[in-house]
Amino acid sequence: MHNSSVRNRIISLFVIIFLIFGWEWLSRAFDSRQILPGPADTISSLISIIGKPDFLSSLGATLLRGFIGFLLAFVCAILIGIPAGINSGIDAAFKPILVTVRSTPVVAIILLALIWFKAEQVPVFIGFLTMFPILTTNISQGIRETDSHYIQLAKVYQISHKRILTDIYWPSILPFLFSGVSTSIGFGWRSVIIGEVLSQPRYGIGAMMQDAQSYLLVSEVIAWTVIAILVSAVFEWMVRLVHKHSVKWKR
Amino acid sequence: MSLKLENITKFYGDRLILDRFSLEFKPGSVTCLFGPSGCGKTTLLNLIGGVTAPDSGTISGFAAEMISFIFQETRLLPWKTVLGNVIFPLIDKLPEKQATEIARKFISMVGLENEAGLFPHQLSGGMKQRVSIARAFAYPGSLILMDEAFQNLDNTLKYNILDSFLKIWEVDRRTVVFVTHDIDEAIKLGQEIIFLNNSPLQVIQSLSISTVYPDRVKATAKEIYHQ
Repeated sequence: MHNSSVRNRIISLFVIIFLIFGWEWLSRAFDSRQILPGPADTISSLISIIGKPDFLSSLGATLLRGFIGFLLAFVCAILIGIPAGINSGIDAAFKPILVTVRSTPVVAIILLALIWFKAEQVPVFIGFLTMFPILTTNISQGIRETDSHYIQLAKVYQISHKRILTDIYWPSILPFLFSGVSTSIGFGWRSVIIGEVLSQPRYGIGAMMQDAQSYLLVSEVIAWTVIAILVSAVFEWMVRLVHKHSVKWKR
Repeated sequence: MSLKLENITKFYGDRLILDRFSLEFKPGSVTCLFGPSGCGKTTLLNLIGGVTAPDSGTISGFAAEMISFIFQETRLLPWKTVLGNVIFPLIDKLPEKQATEIARKFISMVGLENEAGLFPHQLSGGMKQRVSIARAFAYPGSLILMDEAFQNLDNTLKYNILDSFLKIWEVDRRTVVFVTHDIDEAIKLGQEIIFLNNSPLQVIQSLSISTVYPDRVKATAKEIYHQ
């Protein structure tokens, strides 16, 4: 088990090195910084971006928007997902809404949001709409897949509804919730940045990308992309860590 | 209050399990429902415990009772430790300190005092069964329902637990209804033994253990089930 995980890491590392070499080779083939700058140019742009005074404001603004969007989506998902998992009528009532939201192209929502909201709020709204259906579906699925034997047991032992919720349903949905959180943060983060690209708030990763793109600073666009990927990887790692800690009762 | 099932009919899909079935239980005594696998004993117990509802007929006297139920499957919450599982039904009903004391007492009774902090996936099948027994005995139910509660235990342990159970029962005289297909277990524990047979479930014979010898119970079982 341990050996195979070391081997897999080595494989991943080799692929990354291979991709970086491929990137370098392509950028030499194009021989134009305006089309495809190489890894070295990108790293120097990355360093210069991180050194700029508004770097933290941009990163912080995007993080804050993502966080607010996530928090709103999470609260709504709990409020709707739990009753929808318990009661099939409530599930049927919300299903069309969730399906519609999930299948509407993000760009269409952004275009409407640009009309309805301020530039600062658009990415939050987009993040919310991307994450909400994923979280809700996972929570209600977790509730539905809770072993009915445990609910019977609780009823026989006259356990209160509140404790059935906190001691049986909640631990049962945790694995589903974490998988939902992980997927929704991945999608949500990207949507928030797309929202920023189009709504152009003063600060934000997306706004900076859009600025760099308009001046044809391709290495800066790629550098911001690398930052976005790194932040997303940190999120993924954090979710995994919390997940591991909270389901320690599992084998 | 008398505990009664009257004219109960119950289907599982198209299969008729109980057809206008009636039975009365003596409060404060240990009644054994004895019969072959699949004859509907578990259904009967689930009806008494309110886990399933009858299609028709009336069940009286049981609803007012606090019920301890040992299910055939252990139904331990995987995210709670041994102590957490035993204490689970006691919280809200007793002060925390008292609940913990009672839980620990019954965990010791089933010989798992050293495993109180373990999670179910760290226990063997028999140990899990013992935790579910401790949980049911610790709960202050006036009615205890047991569905093949001792089937996964080795004999020495089983008889130790049965002895402890009888000792506790002598003190509080709770009403016990238990299902088994183990005749020795029925003799050891049961005061009333009700022999059942299937398709649909019916009472073949009812014996009171205080008036007969164990051999007679065994002979009756042999006669009914040709075992």
